[in-house]
Amino acid sequence: MVVETVKVVNEQGLHMRPAGVLSKAAAKYGCDVTLKVGEKEINAKSIMMIIGGCIKCGADVEIICNGEQEEDALSEIKALFASGFGE
Amino acid sequence: MWQGIGASDGYGVGTVIKIVEADLSFSDTQVEDIKAEQTRFQLALECFTTKTKAMAEQMRQRVGEKEAEILEGHVIMASDPALSDGILSQIADGICAERALWNTCDLFIQVFSATDDELTKQRVTDVEDIRTRLLKILLDKEDVDISNVPKGTVLVARDLTPSMTVGICKENVAGILTEVGGKTSHSAILARALEVPAVLSIPEIASQLKDGDVIALDGFTGEVFAPSPEQKAEFLKKQEAFLTEKEGLKNLVGKPSVTADGKQVELVCNIGAPKDVKAVLEQDGEGVGLFRTEFLFMGKTSVPTEEEQFAAYKEVAERLQGKPVIIRTLDVGGDKEIPYLNLPKEDNPFLGYRAIRVCLQQKEMYHAQLRALVRASAFGDVRIMVPMVASIEELRQVKAMVEEIKLELDQEGIAYNKDIPVGIMVETPAAAMMADVLAKEAAFFSIGTNDLTQYTMTVDRGNAQVAYLYSTYNPAVLRMIAHIISSAKQAGTPVGMCGEAAADPNLIPLWIAYGLDEYSVGATSVLRTRSILSKWTTEEANALAVKVAGLATTAEVEAALTEARK
Repeated sequence: MVVETVKVVNEQGLHMRPAGVLSKAAAKYGCDVTLKVGEKEINAKSIMMIIGGCIKCGADVEIICNGEQEEDALSEIKALFASGFGE
Repeated sequence: MWQGIGASDGYGVGTVIKIVEADLSFSDTQVEDIKAEQTRFQLALECFTTKTKAMAEQMRQRVGEKEAEILEGHVIMASDPALSDGILSQIADGICAERALWNTCDLFIQVFSATDDELTKQRVTDVEDIRTRLLKILLDKEDVDISNVPKGTVLVARDLTPSMTVGICKENVAGILTEVGGKTSHSAILARALEVPAVLSIPEIASQLKDGDVIALDGFTGEVFAPSPEQKAEFLKKQEAFLTEKEGLKNLVGKPSVTADGKQVELVCNIGAPKDVKAVLEQDGEGVGLFRTEFLFMGKTSVPTEEEQFAAYKEVAERLQGKPVIIRTLDVGGDKEIPYLNLPKEDNPFLGYRAIRVCLQQKEMYHAQLRALVRASAFGDVRIMVPMVASIEELRQVKAMVEEIKLELDQEGIAYNKDIPVGIMVETPAAAMMADVLAKEAAFFSIGTNDLTQYTMTVDRGNAQVAYLYSTYNPAVLRMIAHIISSAKQAGTPVGMCGEAAADPNLIPLWIAYGLDEYSVGATSVLRTRSILSKWTTEEANALAVKVAGLATTAEVEAALTEARK
């Protein structure tokens, strides 16, 4: 299992567009990808769960990857957060 | 008369056609063949995906990229494992596909509605739209077709969904009225992209109107009413004038910003973050006259690093491709708070520790910002602007720091523009009175009319009891501005303006008369400002300025300027 904490830089938080990019990226990997925000744990492969999680700008998000290709998954998702999901 | 939310500009008047959704009721059946029912749902989902992707493509060609992305988002949402797993497992319990779809979507609708986040709440309409379209496929119902409505139609619907909009013939639609939605909902974005006037969020409007009713809607104010024949004629005229003006402004894209007698000025934009550059380029801004850097410092827990800042400044400089980019150094304090700087609470924050006063005491932080700015000058026409200057020593200190940084960069072999200009905001009465002296050492001036008005009138504009004194039309403020500009002119120092007054249609002729070189306005005001500039000759503007110079009160000035307005 690999874990890293990142910050949401998107001004409007993880709304539909970034949530779509994130879920698509997470779905590529065999490992489980979980986002931990406060007490909430969210399946990063589900756009609906991400949207429902209401993750706002400035929030600290713990990315937890567990299973196959976990290192690759973590580094790609980390980079997506840093780039503001291309926004 | 009804009041809704004006969500897309324009005046719409026409005949109501209600968009009635197909009857999507279904009866619950006990599923015998679970595999077959699951397959039925999966086929419906595939059909949905194919249809929606095709709609997205059509939307991209006919309306725009952003609108197409909404539909592509629907494809991702519908194929979400959380959604399909939920539906398939309910079917496995013997529940029919329609009910399983209904229940599972309901779950997400409840989760989204329960949040305190406006954007997440708006996603409820997406889930509803996806559910409706999937149900239609399962029940084999036709999509509503609004592609053939006659000219002069006002569409009335509970909500305007992206899937409805795809087929719309916008020439025939005079207006859109809905029961739900807000300024940032999909329906609003779509209406604006189609350039059709729209009023949203009037509860039960569909049941209060019937097909064939004549209705008028004001997309600016959100007012909706049944018009008299005279009102109808007036609305049609207003809409025509609105469209003509809009078309006229579009024609100004790519044209120089000149007065009627051919004097060229610079028309640039105010921005708050690199993402705002898009609007600057779209609206044909000729550069950036004020890049506020506070966004880099807000919403953080510590001071942004030099690298972080450099990346943002470089991005803006590169995207402007050699056009001027004036970047204002940190303007903190006053009403702008940054918690981690631990600035003490003050009784008079606007007269206290703010902007350049903070930066010159927190040298390490300011050094990083200036260094990032000087480095960014290798990638475009970057200029440094110092806010809130009250004495020339402040400018001299900043210039000395910039010179030190240049030496450092020389030693490190890092590229930069050796002639990077360092200018000032003129927004304190002290700087205004000393404008002739400051003009000799500042590379440029930019008049910040908001603070200058506040400090000249000695009035806190947030204080309702004295706010009436806050007006850039006040003769004292206008004399102050005239003095700043003429002092700059005498020294040959370029002078611009970056407060709200730079785009005020009433004041623009005065700025022409005073000889302002650069107007920095919000991106959406660029074309309108260019249009107003083009209507005045310097001679006419001078005549108006002479008239105004003899007036004693704000009210007299306002009346004279409004009367002369073109």
